[in-house]
Amino acid sequence: MLNFLSAVSSLPLAKIEVGHHLYWQLGNLKIHGQVFLTSWFVIGLLVIASLAATRNIRRIPAGIQNFMEYALEFIRDLAKNQIGEKDYRPWVPFIGTLFLFIFVSNWSGALIPWKLIRLPEGELAAPTNDINTTVALALLTSLAYFYAGFSKRGLGYFKKYIEPTPILLPIAILEDFTKPLSLSFRLFGNILADELVVTVLVLLVPLFVPLPIMALGLFTSAIQALVFATLAAAYIHEAMAGHGDEGHEEH
Amino acid sequence: MFDFDATLPLMAVQFLLLAALLNVVFYKPLTKAIDERDDYIRNNDLGARDRLAKAELLTKQYEEQLAEARRQSQALIANAQADAQKIGAQKIAEAQQEAQSKREQAAKEIEQQKQEAMQSLEQQVDALSRQILEKILGAQLVNR
Repeated sequence: MLNFLSAVSSLPLAKIEVGHHLYWQLGNLKIHGQVFLTSWFVIGLLVIASLAATRNIRRIPAGIQNFMEYALEFIRDLAKNQIGEKDYRPWVPFIGTLFLFIFVSNWSGALIPWKLIRLPEGELAAPTNDINTTVALALLTSLAYFYAGFSKRGLGYFKKYIEPTPILLPIAILEDFTKPLSLSFRLFGNILADELVVTVLVLLVPLFVPLPIMALGLFTSAIQALVFATLAAAYIHEAMAGHGDEGHEEH
Repeated sequence: MFDFDATLPLMAVQFLLLAALLNVVFYKPLTKAIDERDDYIRNNDLGARDRLAKAELLTKQYEEQLAEARRQSQALIANAQADAQKIGAQKIAEAQQEAQSKREQAAKEIEQQKQEAMQSLEQQVDALSRQILEKILGAQLVNR
């Protein structure tokens, strides 16, 4: 199917390439260069925006400082709502960076015409449409909530596996695997699917028709960033608070 | 699509570095700025509240003083009015008394003068009647 589509397509703007990567050799390790190129762009954007916002901090904020303070307050509220007033502060950088990185990645993938920059192989796209990125973020989230649980409750953290009843032990253990799995695949799937849908539509009708889907893609991208950060915060809270806190379901 | 390789750990490390970097250049300074602003606003708010309470206290005091002064002035006015009424009544009574006594005196004088006039008239009546008699009857008859 994909081969057929790419055979049909000769348009330079709309070519479906999944699984083609710009490989960089690092020692005897292979890495996906295009992912790092766009992620560096995203990181650069975030750092430049942060530096611009904090270069000249005023009591009455204006311009970029105002905007970044709005972003920070949004992140703080998110963390506070999930983790609670008492413990949220140390987790703001982690959760906030998750949100900002995913959000800016997604939107850069949707808004910036990366295709105009030609690579020898593969194509530039949002870093979050590579499974390596999303799995890396999801595993970090797992590590984060394990760390949160252990630092808060010590070895008592293991009690959560048998807390309501030991019968649920397998499910409790399984949860630790499904959490990063669902986190990473949700993000990866949404972003990749969105890019594929847009690409296919552009392939079929190059003008105007893909625009609503692109707008929807922007919306989904934002929602996915929010969901990832919210769930990470919820997992951390759950690890710190113990069992009996299953209110946060997946989206 | 699912080819995992060194991208994964490198991306994780890169993400952690980004978090650390943003913590230094973004979260800490802006959180500090926001907290300082919150403190500033809270302090100002507290100060303003204090001043407002003080102002309200002062207003209350002044209002009480004002009410007290008003009460005093009213009492003063009432006193003065009562005094004035008393004095007026007294003066009127005195004047009436004086007028009465003067009238009585005048009446007495009139009576006295009337008496005197009557007396002198009576004396003259005797002399006149004698003269009339003398004129009518002649001096011999009368003196007889």
